[in-house]
Amino acid sequence: MKVTFPHMGNAWIVIQTLFESLNVEVVVPPTNSKRTLQLGTRLSPESACMPLKLNLGNYIEAVNEGADTIVITGGIGPCRFGYYGEIERQILRDAGYAYDVVTLEPPDGSLLGLAGRIRYLAGTKNSWVKIIKALRFAYLKSVALDRVEDLIHAARPRLPDPRETEKLYEAAKLRITQTMTELGVKETVRWVQESIRERQEEIKDSERFRKPLRIGIIGEIYTILDPYTSVGIEEELGRLGVEVDRSIYLSGWVGSHIFQGLAPGYRSIRSYPGHAKPYLPHFVGGHGLETVGAAVKFAQEGYNGIIQIFPLSCMPEIVAASVLPKVQEDYKVPIMTLVVDEHTGQAGMQTRLEAFVDLLERANFEPRTEHNRGDVLSVGGR
Amino acid sequence: MKIGFPRALFYYDYFPFWAGFFHSLDIKVVTSPPTHRQIMEQGLKKVSDDTCLPLKILAGHIQALDKVDAIFLPRMVSVEADTYNCPKFLGIPESLFTAVPAGIPVLTVTLNWRKGRRQILKDLQVFGLQLGKGKADIQKAFTLGQEWQKQYQDSSGAGWDFEETIREIEKVTKGLTKPQMSTLTPSIPKVQDTTDRLRIALVGHSYLTHEAYGSQNLLGRLRKKAEVDLVQHVKQEEVDTNLLGLRKKLFWNHAKQIFGAGNKFVRDPKIDGVIYLSCFGCGTDSMVQELLARYAREQHKPYMMITLDEHSGEAGLVTRLEAFIDMVERRKVHEGYVSAYGECLDRDSNAL
Repeated sequence: MKVTFPHMGNAWIVIQTLFESLNVEVVVPPTNSKRTLQLGTRLSPESACMPLKLNLGNYIEAVNEGADTIVITGGIGPCRFGYYGEIERQILRDAGYAYDVVTLEPPDGSLLGLAGRIRYLAGTKNSWVKIIKALRFAYLKSVALDRVEDLIHAARPRLPDPRETEKLYEAAKLRITQTMTELGVKETVRWVQESIRERQEEIKDSERFRKPLRIGIIGEIYTILDPYTSVGIEEELGRLGVEVDRSIYLSGWVGSHIFQGLAPGYRSIRSYPGHAKPYLPHFVGGHGLETVGAAVKFAQEGYNGIIQIFPLSCMPEIVAASVLPKVQEDYKVPIMTLVVDEHTGQAGMQTRLEAFVDLLERANFEPRTEHNRGDVLSVGGR
Repeated sequence: MKIGFPRALFYYDYFPFWAGFFHSLDIKVVTSPPTHRQIMEQGLKKVSDDTCLPLKILAGHIQALDKVDAIFLPRMVSVEADTYNCPKFLGIPESLFTAVPAGIPVLTVTLNWRKGRRQILKDLQVFGLQLGKGKADIQKAFTLGQEWQKQYQDSSGAGWDFEETIREIEKVTKGLTKPQMSTLTPSIPKVQDTTDRLRIALVGHSYLTHEAYGSQNLLGRLRKKAEVDLVQHVKQEEVDTNLLGLRKKLFWNHAKQIFGAGNKFVRDPKIDGVIYLSCFGCGTDSMVQELLARYAREQHKPYMMITLDEHSGEAGLVTRLEAFIDMVERRKVHEGYVSAYGECLDRDSNAL
């Protein structure tokens, strides 16, 4: 049995670790690319959301490396993702791929069924203690990854050479992927901190205290976690000199979705429903409620702007998007909604981001350049 | 007190319950007129353009409800244990506040059958306080609502006609007649010589198939050319048996009905073709349609998917419909010549 799984940003590092520490053969599909999306789109229903198309592309690309079993998490709605496992199984079977799909969820609410599925994947040689230890270690890694990612978010607008920052990020990810000890994981996070500090010392004093704009990114989890899907929005904003924060991090999702809230993750998502209450008092599936809550939280924390991003036709996020204008009005914070699908192009996205950042910068400077009548009239005379 | 109930979305499936509920509380319910052009246009202006057609129509209907004391927009989370409605149902009324005319309050209550009957009664009682009604009144109203809803659902089956049934209910809510529940049971289906007429199944959300304006009167057009079977014509037991083949249960109530009925139609030799009516951006349909299309292909059943949106050119729809019916008709004629062995020798090269 060779296990594969769909990509979602950095999640592959965590999943690979989990299976490898249980001595299960695992195939990491090639990272999401245009080819992945093309392969997936060919098989998917046209109106399905973008993550499904990428998932299918991942599986097809993983076939070449001998994968024969898919692991995916499930759910009982009302978001479409809950039914992905089953629909993907049927699509792949009809397209001639002999995949076995294991959905990690309690079938009809039976925990015994879930245990059976885990046992099937882990084989007979692993004890439950070992499985739980492996889960814990994988979880630690996901928290460390989020920590690194957040450091990079802060470093991007502050460090001089953006390319060096990306290199540091890649190096850190590689280190976390390779290490199999808790100490190694901790060391990597410290190493990233040290490297950033060192580089900051090179900056001139006048530059050092510039406060970058802050933008909160909210929206559908797959889209915001996966840089390919979001057209590299975080990197792009970092390059434009913006500090980015995000509503949901990988470990937060793992903690609430897979461990059912037993672990809080790097950034807990528990507080969001409370924040969302005045605008949306009921959950709407997926992370629609969290999106609204995070928007309120970012606004309260004084972020300069908020960007919501989701795949075309995402049901929960559309509900959130129709509520957000009210948040925007109440807190006077600009909120932009971006919708992505398989036709999204880099240039269009870039233009919109630049325009948004320009707008925020202007709003920021406005108090300093007070216009009066004399000023305006003098423009013509100059 | 006059409460406005928009004739869209949940109206098509759950109006009888709410009609009964308010009738028992002695609150007058006013429904908006059937969709017309202005309603649609108003709706388009007021909601986010990413959302789906039925929600846009609903937004239009909300605006059409002036001269009422309040607009009623329930949050129908779930109508059956272990299922949900579409996430967009869950976001009502918050996602539609922009469409509500200024000065008219919105009444809402959460209806969640996942949590069981007791929780619903509790929620309704809290709602009742807003209306100034006591617990006993709410209990009674709930029972009557349930009764009406049950009558309505039981009346579905062969020969069921949406317009007829709903007209009865509306008559009662307007106070024109005394509630006579017996009128709700359908008249015996007219026995017609239907042997040479085509039978086409139209599956899709009730708020699309019965939405005459939004669907360009697809149902009416189809009825002129063929006998039409709808999701509501399939008995609940049959829907349930046809759902058994799924490896994972569907978790949307609507999708279950559509898939269960669709699966029955696809396997039913009396049905000549299946049309799936969907709308652009419908999340549940994107999954269910894919499942059903697969089954239809396996069974070699003519199958067509129609996607609606707010653009209203009807020529394209008419052409597709005619082409489909022609195709089904021709197939029916030729299938008389299939060899006596029952199956084609080469069943994959479906030359017809």
